Amino acid sequence: MKLAPLFGVEAVAFLLIIAETYLFFNLVVPLGPIPHSLPAYTGLTLVKLLLSLGLVALWFVVMIGLTRIYVKAKIRNAPRPSS
Amino acid sequence: MPSGLAAGGLLLLAFLVPFVCILLGLPPFLRFLTRKGWTSEDVHKSPPAKVPEPAGPILFVAALLGEFVVAIGFRSWVPVAISLGAGIAFLIGLADDVFVLGGRTKPLLLLLAGVAFAGVVVFVPGLYQPVITFPILGDTAPHFIIYTMLAVVAFPVVSNAFNMMDSFNGEISWFALLTSLALLVGVSLHAAYASGFSLARVGATLPLVAVGAGFLLFNRYPSRAFDGDSGSLMYGAMFAGLAVTGGVEIAAIIAIVPAILNSFYTLSSVRGFVERRKMSGRPTYIGGDGLLYPSTEPNAPNTLIRLVLLAGALSERDLVKQLVYLTLVALIFSVATSALTWVY
Repeated sequence: MKLAPLFGVEAVAFLLIIAETYLFFNLVVPLGPIPHSLPAYTGLTLVKLLLSLGLVALWFVVMIGLTRIYVKAKIRNAPRPSS
Repeated sequence: MPSGLAAGGLLLLAFLVPFVCILLGLPPFLRFLTRKGWTSEDVHKSPPAKVPEPAGPILFVAALLGEFVVAIGFRSWVPVAISLGAGIAFLIGLADDVFVLGGRTKPLLLLLAGVAFAGVVVFVPGLYQPVITFPILGDTAPHFIIYTMLAVVAFPVVSNAFNMMDSFNGEISWFALLTSLALLVGVSLHAAYASGFSLARVGATLPLVAVGAGFLLFNRYPSRAFDGDSGSLMYGAMFAGLAVTGGVEIAAIIAIVPAILNSFYTLSSVRGFVERRKMSGRPTYIGGDGLLYPSTEPNAPNTLIRLVLLAGALSERDLVKQLVYLTLVALIFSVATSALTWVY
């Protein structure tokens, strides 16, 4: 089962995609009542944008972390052609 | 709207027409490409073999004929929107095959495919539902603007993800076939369990399955044809459009997780959109024994292929087998997602 660690990465990516998409559409998008003043509207938009970017950043950080752990574990014994 | 046997016959035709078109049309087209000298070096062979490229035009014609059958048979605009998005992606891919577009130009141009697809909603309001249906949890509230923006962006993202899965013999055709099967299962379950969901949307996915299956016969190891960017970008655009019209966005994203990871690894390690021909380091190399090895250079791009090879050197045929296993796992996750969404 050489691919088992990569299957694990796929599973984490799968769960994060479902959870984060759910949070985006059910928490970030409908956040707060729509304000009527321009500064409040701009502020709410910025908060939504930051939360969205936070979700994307979380996915990136977890994926980069998992990849680094995998590469670090494998690179020392990486196959090389016998010369 | 046809039903019963007539609908079954139409669905069968939607698969058979593009499949037969590839079986009959591709061999003479490949001879034409070879005569004209439109070939690429299969660099993973020793010595490199010459393989006709791009087969994309025949794949596009085949897909178009299949969508035409569905559009006429079911009197639906869904296949028209799919063909429009796929057609623009195909033309951009063809331009890349002939002139080689820049790493940033391609994704920007591919936005046009998404805009054209989403533009059809002005004339056909029911083209897609602006809600996402989650497994077990159900529908979100409708968000037309956000949903449409995401649908437009999905075209360049998914098309590029497919394009980046096109490096080895059979890789893209296996990937297109398996992911389109995941899509077909999702859309079929949606049609079976949701009321008022048109069979035309199921029919519209069949040409993609047929093109994937038909091209696999020519593209599998050792390849007799390469699809070129015209083929891979068209696959991606069709997939994105079908996921949106089929209402199976989550299952579709899950099905292409290997491609998303591959794109993500590559983009994060080369820090941006770089045309593959201009990458500074190579992720892999061929050893004297003919096997593929992962590069151990610190600046080597971290592609999915390199990560697979870090577990052990492989021949090209075995490497593609490993990628098929990764795609099969994603397919299982995707089918489970569809089942939990529509059956549960």
